[in-house]
Amino acid sequence: MNSGILFEDVSKFYGEVLGVNRVTLAIGPGLTSLVGPNGSGKTTLMNLMTGLVRPSWGRVSVLGISPERPEQLLRRTGYATQYDSFPRGLTGYGFLYSFLRLHGTAHAEAERRSWEALRRVGLEQAAHRKVAAYSKGMRQRLKLGQALAHDPEILVLDEPLNGLDPIARAETLALFRELASQGRYVIVSSQILHELEGISDAIVLLDGGYVVAEGRLDEVRREVTEHPARFLVRTRQARLLAARLLEAGAAIEVRLERGGDGAVLATHDAEQLLLALNRLVVELDVEIESVAPLDADVESVYQYLIRTPGGPS
Amino acid sequence: MPIYKRSYERYQGPLTPEWLRFLVPARYAWQELRERRFFGLFLLGTLLCPVICALLIYLRHNLGALEALRLDARKLVPIDEGFFLFFLGFQSMLSFFVAAIAGPGLVAADLTHGALPLYLARPLTRRSYVLGKVSVLVILMSLITWVPGLLLVGLQWSLEGDAWLEAHRRIAFALLAGSWIWILVLSLMVLAISAWVRWKPLAGAALFLIFFLGGALGNASNELLGTHWGQLLNLSHLVGTVWVNLFGRAAQTGAGAVFFRVQARGGQTPEWAAWAMLIGVGLLSLALLHRKLRAVETVR
Repeated sequence: MNSGILFEDVSKFYGEVLGVNRVTLAIGPGLTSLVGPNGSGKTTLMNLMTGLVRPSWGRVSVLGISPERPEQLLRRTGYATQYDSFPRGLTGYGFLYSFLRLHGTAHAEAERRSWEALRRVGLEQAAHRKVAAYSKGMRQRLKLGQALAHDPEILVLDEPLNGLDPIARAETLALFRELASQGRYVIVSSQILHELEGISDAIVLLDGGYVVAEGRLDEVRREVTEHPARFLVRTRQARLLAARLLEAGAAIEVRLERGGDGAVLATHDAEQLLLALNRLVVELDVEIESVAPLDADVESVYQYLIRTPGGPS
Repeated sequence: MPIYKRSYERYQGPLTPEWLRFLVPARYAWQELRERRFFGLFLLGTLLCPVICALLIYLRHNLGALEALRLDARKLVPIDEGFFLFFLGFQSMLSFFVAAIAGPGLVAADLTHGALPLYLARPLTRRSYVLGKVSVLVILMSLITWVPGLLLVGLQWSLEGDAWLEAHRRIAFALLAGSWIWILVLSLMVLAISAWVRWKPLAGAALFLIFFLGGALGNASNELLGTHWGQLLNLSHLVGTVWVNLFGRAAQTGAGAVFFRVQARGGQTPEWAAWAMLIGVGLLSLALLHRKLRAVETVR
């Protein structure tokens, strides 16, 4: 039975140190981002779903397979750890080839897949160079290549964007999106929040070993009720519009932009604000250039939920 | 995501047999050993004793050669349990040096370079990983001990006939079993040391220390306490005791190489105690490996 990646009341303690605590979570196909500060439990969660560590409490199930059975599970999983480590003395090609053989891939097929993975991560030219001579970005791409090489259904990538230059980063994100759109499970952790925002199907926010929020970004944002949603409205009649919205109770706070050609509106009910805005546009014949949410991004949600005092600037 | 949009299809093609995959972790150990010229020469040197033994066996059965060399067959070393026990002892001593050269880097390199999570994030169990690493030592030590030993038994049998084999039927089994006891205990010990002492030269030194210091401590405690139980700390003595009993009483006096000499005097270590200690050392090594070889090392 294929039931996604399930955590049922999972806790992991390293002695007295908390890894994750009472995590209940369901991850479906598509791209899921794990977001949280250092020590929040992202890597522990990834190690649990790949069976590299066992839960102290609770149950983990991946596509209906228990991580207690690594031979079955890891055949369908590709894991790139955050650690910059490789076996000694290997070339990029040799590394991919030998690890494909561990998956049971025969010689000719392992050769073909190694080159295919090297091409995908843009390392064909450096294939026969020793990994020790690679730059950090190249090693990062090679780690991604080894996770991809056996064409797994589940990709678990711990901070895969670290050390990549902007072009490689954009290419890698496009690759994640492509893999996720095929119906694979792509689980990425990162602290480069704004980059994940546009491509994630779901986010899991972690803090201190607890899951603080999970789901689609807009759903998570909606759950953050104590922080009003903020919108920037660009219009020459900002003052008039702001006054009418305050009067109607659709906005709870207004800040006019310098020059008077825009206003930042805060509301506890984004839907009500947008409906009121629509009505006023028709009623007052106001010309609006743009309406943009200011804090419906992952960074703001992260700030609200995890670094609470202050919130987004 | 709706199911109809999912275009991913899992690989359904053939895979290599699971039981063979333990050889992959050993792959680069072999490559590294091939690149060490001194090691290759040493390995070649371990063939010297089997060649000399083969010549001795051949000489005893070649009257022409004996006459030409003016040798009396009766004065040549008899080809019996003592001969093969000496052979096993000498070759095992050489295999100890081979293990000391090849072994310390086997696990230490992966631990130092943080490669263990990479291995264990594959369909490879810790058991298979250890098996792969041990296989390097087992193959090397087998090529030095029981493989040439059984070839010599075969040569002697072919020249002397079935009667010799009938009269010395313990030899082949004792060679094989004695070699495997030594190979398994030493391989597991070397791997455990390699896992815990990550600096290769120090790991090699630790192996020598365990053997020679253990022996010295054993002798010292025997002298001080007037007992013979101190020999339980002497691993080569323990292995020698087991071998002597495998080869039978006929081989008990001063047999084996210097490294494994078992003297026929009173107060010897009982065979059961030697077995128990060797099994204990093997199990302790496995426990140490089990504790150290983890995908995620927790530093508290």
